[in-house]
Amino acid sequence: MHFYCLWQDIWVTASTRLAILSVLLAVSAIGTYVLMLRIAAVRNHPEGYVIAFAIATLLAVLAVARGRGRRWPAWVALGLTAFLLVMGSWFNFIYARVPESPTAFRVGEPAPDFTLLDASGKPVTLADYRGKKPVVLVFYRGYW
Amino acid sequence: MGELQGLGAQLSEAEKAGVEIIAVSPDANEQSQKLAEGLRLGYRFVADRELRVARLYGLVHKGGGPEGQDVPRPATVVVDKDGVVRWFSVARNYQVRPDPGEVLAVVRSLKS
Repeated sequence: MHFYCLWQDIWVTASTRLAILSVLLAVSAIGTYVLMLRIAAVRNHPEGYVIAFAIATLLAVLAVARGRGRRWPAWVALGLTAFLLVMGSWFNFIYARVPESPTAFRVGEPAPDFTLLDASGKPVTLADYRGKKPVVLVFYRGYW
Repeated sequence: MGELQGLGAQLSEAEKAGVEIIAVSPDANEQSQKLAEGLRLGYRFVADRELRVARLYGLVHKGGGPEGQDVPRPATVVVDKDGVVRWFSVARNYQVRPDPGEVLAVVRSLKS
């Protein structure tokens, strides 16, 4: 499975192929996640990109091993994928975590009433919807 | 925004008239409202500037913002016509929001 033409011909070694595959996998994982954020199945499983980074790092380790440490593309791939794995893991398991704490509302109890202003300055009062329509409250951070 | 887009996409016009979606966040209203209008989503965006309502609901993530400021914990709460909480989902990871299909199933079940 490995054939060398010239020692400088990096494009035909198995090590380089593995390195390219590893980087492609990592980049595809990022691309997929970013482009498909609208799809709940993708958005709700961010651990997917961490797993992809882990596999990509493994492939890069194999690339280095196959090249016996002498092929620079393998080292570049390893550096890149290991970096993505560390950053992705930190982001997903540490930074993006929201600590649990008890909420001040419960199923079966009335939702706390409030009045806030909407974009045109009109007040919106939750109690005004009683007897009219159900309400879905979506609390979000407002920025990335 | 992803969750709001998902909800909007799945609600039929008829349903949009039958349920009010109120998006609560501390950010400037104008930008959100313009975005919603651009996407033709029928939400009301309200400004919870000092996190007064987030605090009222017990949904504050202390120091969770990019500058160490308090931010709301992302959450979705379904309230029925009598003002009673019927379902909610609070995020443990801010990248993850409840499946809009699940939220809509809850809303539809309220009518029966």
